[in-house]
Amino acid sequence: MDPFILSFAVVNGLLQGGIYGGIALGLSLIFGVLRVVNFAHGSFLMLSLYLSFWCWNLLGIDPYLSAIVTVPAMFALGYFVQSVIISPLIRRERALVVEPLSALLLTCGVFLVLDNVALMAFGPDVRSVQLSYYLPSLMLGPIPVNIPRLIAALAAILVAVGVSFWLRHSHAGRAIRATAQNRDAAAMSGIDVPKVYAVTFGLGCAILGLFGALISPFIPATPTIGLAFGIKSFIVVVLGGMGSIPGSIIGGLVIGVFEAVASQFVTATSAAIFSLGLFILVLLVRPAGIMGKA
Amino acid sequence: MYKPALKIAGLTSGYGDIRVLRGVDLELKPGTIVALIGANGAGKTTLLRTISGLVKADSGFSELYGESIHGLAPHRVVQAGFVQSPEGKQLFADMTILENLMVGAHSKRAYERRNETLEEVYELFPILAERRYQRASTLSGGQQQMVAVGRALMALPKVLALDEPSLGLAPIMVDRLFESIAKIRERNLSILIIEQNVFQVLEMADYGYVLENGQISLSGTGAELLGNSHLRATYLGL
Ligand SMILES: Nc1ncnc2c1ncn2[C@@H]1O[C@H](COP(=O)(O)OP(=O)(O)OP(=O)(O)O)[C@@H](O)[C@H]1O
Ligand SMILES: [Mg+2]
Repeated sequence: MDPFILSFAVVNGLLQGGIYGGIALGLSLIFGVLRVVNFAHGSFLMLSLYLSFWCWNLLGIDPYLSAIVTVPAMFALGYFVQSVIISPLIRRERALVVEPLSALLLTCGVFLVLDNVALMAFGPDVRSVQLSYYLPSLMLGPIPVNIPRLIAALAAILVAVGVSFWLRHSHAGRAIRATAQNRDAAAMSGIDVPKVYAVTFGLGCAILGLFGALISPFIPATPTIGLAFGIKSFIVVVLGGMGSIPGSIIGGLVIGVFEAVASQFVTATSAAIFSLGLFILVLLVRPAGIMGKA
Repeated sequence: MYKPALKIAGLTSGYGDIRVLRGVDLELKPGTIVALIGANGAGKTTLLRTISGLVKADSGFSELYGESIHGLAPHRVVQAGFVQSPEGKQLFADMTILENLMVGAHSKRAYERRNETLEEVYELFPILAERRYQRASTLSGGQQQMVAVGRALMALPKVLALDEPSLGLAPIMVDRLFESIAKIRERNLSILIIEQNVFQVLEMADYGYVLENGQISLSGTGAELLGNSHLRATYLGL
């Protein structure tokens, strides 16, 4: 194999993987705290993409600047979905954890509603944002690096570091970690558990709001784009370790690089299937994921 | 006017269709230690969880210094001043001792005084100061119990409830823990304590209640209860 093509594939894989990891962060955070697998994760990303598109299309806001709108909007939507739709289910449960299946079915319903409402409202058209300026490729030696992708991948790492730091060192972050570890004990320590859940869900969705804005220059909005990203995020999170923030990035990088390198040998579709094979292989060796606690 | 630190009347609650508590009446005078005795499964933990708002009460009421805490969300009950150190400790296992204690000081009133309270907790349990950066899961059972009590104290309780604090501790540790509890009383708060060490707890307590069949079947001062033949036969095996 040509070393140039291989290193080109690795660089692109790292960028793509970083983006996967960034998109998966919210899924991992929400699972880590609420023990809820948010099947609608990709749908929230789809909504962020549309929001970013309409900001640009209707208001002429630069896609990157549209994060000022998408981040708070997605936080609010996440907060709302958790406190109005998912919370009653959690309140019914007596045990320390939510019945995984009922929560999954519920978020599955949220996914169906969001995707179909998007299809009705926006139609099946593909909508892409055009940056009003030209971003030349950065040259890494002989390898061209796409700047928008680089921005999104670096943002993923920055957000992961920031969120980890905030969870570890802030008063609110400590309350979130306490709730994740033992929600009854958290409540008995004076923590408003339903509010922590809503804030965490909102935060997970706000991260998607950011990435919706960051990937909009190269990923067009369609009503069905969510599912593929949702499933990819799920694979990334399980591979990296459910609930682990660094695991999300590492899982993303592993999948990204593997796919990019494999697609040098086989078609992209087969590469995606191979990455599922890798996924199963890693889980056989480390059932809790790369960064997960066994 | 005299106001009891904690007053519970006609409290009824349970799980699903099962009524565990069927009209519990109980009162704590300010600054006293009150013991709650009962067989396994009598509903002692359920009583604390109901007062804490983790289990919904069907009827009755609970008051803290005359203020109703009935039907409040769990974190509001803590803010009002009823704080429990739960059965089985329920520590945040992946956090350090210091972090566990700090979580206890979550509510605004407690957070503002967290440094002073922390010093007091360290004074009460010096070993916690020494091990403050150690993860809670690496401690011995007795030390974990200290963290659980310390965490509850960090919330600045007016009434502190302890659910079987001596469970699983070696006898020497039980003695030390009881000494600490006696010291906590000097902090001008009231303590409701659930214990299997019936003899020891009744010697220390100012007053005691016995929970049987979902109701208080017997109550009296520690000395009175220790002299009661039913209690002696059922709980002390004498
Ligand atoms: N989460 C629950 N769901 C259903 N039933 C429960 C639950 N928790 C406790 N019970 C039942 O309620 C009754 C009272 O339990 P509780 O734990 O309050 O007793 P206890 O007096 O604290 O006992 P112990 O001395 O063993 O701690 C028991 O019959 C128990 O089986
Ligand atoms: Mg109990």
